[in-house]
Amino acid sequence: MSNDALIVGGGLQGCAIALFLARAGWRVTVVEKNLAGRHASGVNAGGLRSLMRDVREYPLSLRAMDMWANLADVVGAAAAESCEVRLGTAQIALAMDAAELQWCEARSRSMCRRDIHSEKLIAPDALHRLLPGLSGAALGGLISRRDGHANPANAARAFRKAAEATGVRILEQCKVHDLAPKPSGGWRAETDAGAIEAEWVLNCAGAWGSALAARLGETLPIKVTALSMMVTARVQPFITPVVIGIDQPLSFKQSAVGSLVIGGGILGKPCLEGDTSFTVMDRMASSAAATVAAFPVLAGVPVVRTWTGLEGATPDGIPFIGPSLSHPGLWHVFGFCGHGFQLAPAVGEAVARSLVSGTLDPRLTPFAVDRLQPQTPRKEEALP
Amino acid sequence: MSIVPDADIIIVGAGPAGMACAIDLAAAGCRVIVLDMQPSPGGQIFRALEANMQARPGTDELLSALGPSYKAGLALLTRFRATPGIDYRPGTTVWDLRADGTVGWLKGDAAGYLRATHVVLANGAMERPAPFPGWTLPGVMTAGAVQTLLKAGRLKPKGRIVLAGTGPLIFLLADQLRRLGVRPALIARTDRARDKVAALRRLRPAGLPALLKGLGWLLRLRLAGVAMRTGISGLEAHGRSHIESARLTVAGKRIELPCDLLVVHDGIVPSTDLAHAAGLALAWRDDDASWQPVTTRDGQAEMAPGPALTAGPCRIRITGDARRIGGADAAIAHGRHAAGAILAELSRPAATPGAADRTGVDVERSLAARPFLDAAFPPGLAANLPDDATIVCRCEEITAGALRAAIRDGAREMNLVRGLLRCGMGACQGRSCAATLARLLAEANPDRPVSPAPFRARPPLRPLPLGALAGMIGLDPDLAQVESLDDKPEASAGDDAHV
Repeated sequence: MSNDALIVGGGLQGCAIALFLARAGWRVTVVEKNLAGRHASGVNAGGLRSLMRDVREYPLSLRAMDMWANLADVVGAAAAESCEVRLGTAQIALAMDAAELQWCEARSRSMCRRDIHSEKLIAPDALHRLLPGLSGAALGGLISRRDGHANPANAARAFRKAAEATGVRILEQCKVHDLAPKPSGGWRAETDAGAIEAEWVLNCAGAWGSALAARLGETLPIKVTALSMMVTARVQPFITPVVIGIDQPLSFKQSAVGSLVIGGGILGKPCLEGDTSFTVMDRMASSAAATVAAFPVLAGVPVVRTWTGLEGATPDGIPFIGPSLSHPGLWHVFGFCGHGFQLAPAVGEAVARSLVSGTLDPRLTPFAVDRLQPQTPRKEEALP
Repeated sequence: MSIVPDADIIIVGAGPAGMACAIDLAAAGCRVIVLDMQPSPGGQIFRALEANMQARPGTDELLSALGPSYKAGLALLTRFRATPGIDYRPGTTVWDLRADGTVGWLKGDAAGYLRATHVVLANGAMERPAPFPGWTLPGVMTAGAVQTLLKAGRLKPKGRIVLAGTGPLIFLLADQLRRLGVRPALIARTDRARDKVAALRRLRPAGLPALLKGLGWLLRLRLAGVAMRTGISGLEAHGRSHIESARLTVAGKRIELPCDLLVVHDGIVPSTDLAHAAGLALAWRDDDASWQPVTTRDGQAEMAPGPALTAGPCRIRITGDARRIGGADAAIAHGRHAAGAILAELSRPAATPGAADRTGVDVERSLAARPFLDAAFPPGLAANLPDDATIVCRCEEITAGALRAAIRDGAREMNLVRGLLRCGMGACQGRSCAATLARLLAEANPDRPVSPAPFRARPPLRPLPLGALAGMIGLDPDLAQVESLDDKPEASAGDDAHV
C-alpha cells in the first residue's frame, strides 16, 4: 500500500499532523523508533501558555488555545477528558527584581502595540492575592489569564489514539534505516517494518530531526537538550496559576492531586544515541533555589521524583516548520525548543491544511526552514 | 570526577557489613566516611543495641528475649565507635549514587554530594514484598517491622497474633516473642516438610550450626505449645478498617482465625535501589523472585549495558546482604573481604597481613548454609502471583488486575506500565512493586526474559526537601554549569519592522 504521507516521529506533533491529514482523507503512516510520545511530548510540563511566547508564534498559539478549549472536537470526548485540560488558571511571569520588572513593562508595551492583549502587567497586591506564600520580594509580573495546563503524557496518547481511530497506521519500535526520493517522485523508506512508500515525508523527529535532515543533505541545526522536571510530595492545594520565571529558572504549578511540578527549563544530560537522558541534580539545585526564593514556605516540601525527556532547540528559539528547499515532497517539523506542547493542535491543523491545499498556511511563514541560512536573494526577488 | 575527593572510601550503611568494612579500612589508615540512615550504628539486626544496653536494667527482659545473637553485635559496635579515622554520619539518607564515586546525601535540612575513590554499598536487605489479599490493611505487618518496634520502640505486640510466611526470621521472631510472654495463635508456614528433605542434599558441614540454631528455635516453640502448621497457602487478611481475621488453607482445608495482628514474612532480598540508580548491572533470580547485583567475589560491581551519566571506571563495591543474603556473620565476613580488596587496590597493607585470604575463607564458610536455607524456605507468600483484586502498588493503589489489563493492552515493559498507571511512582519509588510487576509481565509474555532491571531510576531515590536541594553543597562545578533553555523572547523584538 502506498501512502500519501509518511511521518517520521510519533510525538505529539507527528500524531497531530497525522490526525488532520487523515481527516482530510490522506493515507498516513507514522513510524516511531521508540514508543509514541515517549520523549519530549510525554514528559514536558504540559503548559498551555501563550504568556511570554515569541511573537512569531502568537497566531498559531492563539489558534491552538481555541483548539485546546474545544479538545473534544479534535480527539473525541473521552480522550479529551483524559488530557486534564485546565484553561483559565492563568500563567504568571514573576518579576523578582527591578530588571525583570522593567522587562515586563517593555514587553507589555510591545504587545499592546501589536494589538495582542492576552498578557497584562499585574500589580503586586493582585499578585500576592493570586499567589499565597509568594515572597515579599516579588515586585509584579505579567499575567495571561486564559493560560493553563494539561497532562502531557495523556495528551500525547490522546492524539495518537485519535490519529489511529481516523485510520492512521502507527508503527512503534520501527526505525527508518534508509530514506530516499524515488526517481518517479515520492519517497521510499526502508524501515524495521519493511519498505514504506509515500508521496510526502514529514520529518517530525524532534531531537533527532536534525540528524534525519542531515541524512538528506540538509543542515538544520538544533541543540539536543534534556528537559528536566521534578515533582514534590502532595501538599494542600494553595495555588492555581502556573508560575514562571523571567531570568530565573522558575516554573511550577500545582497538580490536581496537590503535588508541585517544577521545571524551569533546567536541562539534564542528553544521550541521543542511547535514546535517553539523565537528570543532573547539580543543576536542579538552581531550579529549587529559584522556587524557594519565590515561595519560601515550600522549603520543607520534598522532591520525590525527577524525569527528563529529549528535545531539540533551534538557534533562534522557534521551530522549523515548512517544506524542504532541496527535496520536493519533504517537510520538516521539529525543533520546538521546549515549548511545542501548546502549539501542537494548531501545528497539526496548519501543516495538514498546507499539504492538502498545496498552499502554505501564512501562520507558518515565520518558521521557514531556511530562515537561518545566509540570505541569498531568491530568483524572483533578484529580478530588477 | 574532577574535584578533590572528600574521603578515600564512602560506605553506605552502618550494619554489620558496613561497620566491619569501615573498621578494617580505617585501621589501615584510610579516611572513611560512613553514611547511615539510622540514628545509631547496628543496621537492622543490631538496631538500637547501644541504647538498649545503656537503658539496663530496664531493658534486661528485652535484651534477654532478643537473645545472644543481638548482644553479639556489641563487640563490633564498640570497635566501630573506637576506631579512629571513621567519620560516622548517622541520620543521613543517600538519595543519589553515581558510578564515579559521587554520593548524594541528606541530613536534616542539609544536602550535598560527597566523593570518594571507592564507594562501598552496605545498604542491606529488605523483606520480600508479597502482595496477598488484604496485605495493606492496618494490623498487617512484616516480621522486620515487629522487630523494629521491639528493638527501637521497646513495644510488645498485643492481642491475637498470627505469624505467616516462611524463612528463619519467622522462627527467630516467634522465639523472641515467646520469651517476652507473647504467644502467637498460630505460626502458619508456607514451606513444607518436603522442602527440608530436598534441602538436606544441599547441606554442607559448615552449614550445620545454622541448622542446629533453627532446630533449637523449633524445639523451644514446640515445648512452649505454640501451634505451627506447614504448607499453608491462600493467605488473606480480612477486616473493615483494621484486620479482623486471617484466612488460609491448611492441609486442603480453608480456615479462618480471628486476628488483631498478622505478621508476615517471606524471606529477605538484597536492597538494589542504590545499585540500580547508579547504573550497575543487576540479574534476575527466578528461584528467588528478585534482582541481585552482579559483582565479583570481593564485591566489585559492574555497569549495566547502555548509556551512563558518568564516564570512567565503576568505583562501587557491594557488600553484605545488599550483595548476597547471608545474615550478620556473612555480612561481617564479606565487609572485611571487600575492605581487603580495596586496600589491595590502593596498595595499602592491611592492618593484619594475609587478611585477604582469610576473609575469603570466612565468606565461604559464612555462606555455607545458604543453599540449604534457600531450598528449605523458598518464597511462599509470593510464590504465586496475586489475583486481580489484590493491590500490588500500595503507594498508588494499583491492583494486579489493572496491571494485567495494561499489559494485555500492549504495555510490555516496566516503564511503560508505570507511565500508564503510575505504578511505582509513589513514595517508595517502586521498591515494593517492581518485582511483582516484572513477574506479571513475564506471566503475560512467557517467551520473553524477565526484565533485567526494575523501573528506570532517577534521583532523588528518597524524598529530598526543596530547601535542602536549593542549598546543596559539593556540587560538581562542571555538571553544575546550569544549562537552560534560552527561550526568553526579547521584550520588544522586531517592533520597528512590523508596527
